[in-house]
Amino acid sequence: MSAIKDLIKEIDNLKPIPAVVNQIMDAVEDSKSSMTDIAEIILYDPVITANILKMCNSAYYALPRRVDSVHDAVTMMGLNQVVDMVLMKSGASNLIKGQEGYGLHEGELWKHAVSSALIARDLAEKKGSEHKQMIFTAALLKDIGKVILDRFVGDSFTKIDDLVKKKGFSFKEAEKKVIGIDHAELGGLVAEMWDFSPKMISMIKNHHLNDEAARDDLETQILYVADNVCMMMGIGGGADGLAYRFHRDVLKRLGISPLDLQEIIASFGSEMKRVEELLKVI
Amino acid sequence: MKTIVGVSDMKVSNNKDEVLITYSLGSCIGVVIYDSQVKVGGMLHYMLPESQIDKEKAEKNPYMFADTGIPSLFKSAYGLGALKSRMKVVVVGGAQILDQKGFFNIGKRNHMALRKLFFKNGVIIDHEDVGGNVNRTIRIEIGTGDIYMKTSGKVEEKL
Repeated sequence: MSAIKDLIKEIDNLKPIPAVVNQIMDAVEDSKSSMTDIAEIILYDPVITANILKMCNSAYYALPRRVDSVHDAVTMMGLNQVVDMVLMKSGASNLIKGQEGYGLHEGELWKHAVSSALIARDLAEKKGSEHKQMIFTAALLKDIGKVILDRFVGDSFTKIDDLVKKKGFSFKEAEKKVIGIDHAELGGLVAEMWDFSPKMISMIKNHHLNDEAARDDLETQILYVADNVCMMMGIGGGADGLAYRFHRDVLKRLGISPLDLQEIIASFGSEMKRVEELLKVI
Repeated sequence: MKTIVGVSDMKVSNNKDEVLITYSLGSCIGVVIYDSQVKVGGMLHYMLPESQIDKEKAEKNPYMFADTGIPSLFKSAYGLGALKSRMKVVVVGGAQILDQKGFFNIGKRNHMALRKLFFKNGVIIDHEDVGGNVNRTIRIEIGTGDIYMKTSGKVEEKL
């Protein structure tokens, strides 16, 4: 069990999410705060402002004219998109590095994070979720546990891989069995230490649907589907591959048919080149 | 010279210095063809079995689907002088998530669509590494026709 204590200590080595991001997320979830309130929070952070402008003017958004201010950005793209940008920028620093234990080169985990966040946002829109921003953030950060677990997975890879290949374990189940904790659970602990909301902590912790009760939660279902779509498309696929459990009943509950699943893949597939452009400027 | 074949993408080549590579095939399928006599090779990375789910997308990008991408791959190679009868054909990918059964199993459906098409057109597969729960990367050296596959977490192997 001392290994788990070591792991938890390593959470401190992550770059903390800037306080301004927590402020923005709280404001977005709080029905009393207005668009101006949120824009104000962003305005007071020059680094975030600069990054937003850079992203707005990238080929991904292909806007008809240059965006020169946060006000411009909000008017042209809507507040949600702008908040997405803030979240992406703040998530990048921890996720962009290669994760050797998981067989991921530099940028691959990050590409997976951004892709699943974009898919999840789209799905959240279609399914009428009231927590679109939260879903986006959870999708972006759901694999933060992998960043810490990476070295441990690398050290025990043969054992983990054996359980997956020979005993029918999912990669996550094998992590838990060999290391004592899996990347989703560890991600939940990180979210807790970063003072995320209980719902967000639960989503990150349950993005592979560990907990039966989480399977009834609309936002967790959406997050789960987005992750699965990325896995199928091979986006940021590492040594864990597709060795996670598929819960058909959850897709059914969310009202997603096999054909819908293919349509999601087709529509994100057409976006891939644009997404590559976006990744260049985050 | 390395040319990357992206997701829903296809390349053919007769440039002896060129290497075609496609990364991280999950449920998607990579088809590699090579005619050693004229040293023409091609690679397709498609995502989905049938174009009927979105005809508009298939028109814009036929390489997204098996039923539009595979004919395109072969025709493009014929255009460079390759012949079906001399073609070496390698198929990899089509992985699935654990317990992903029935119609939800896109990897398997991708594979079935290819087999159906190959059967109809008398194409014989020389090597196949399909299914399972792994990501695969495949590359071909046009000059030699050598084909290599790498499964995530393992070293690259020559096929």
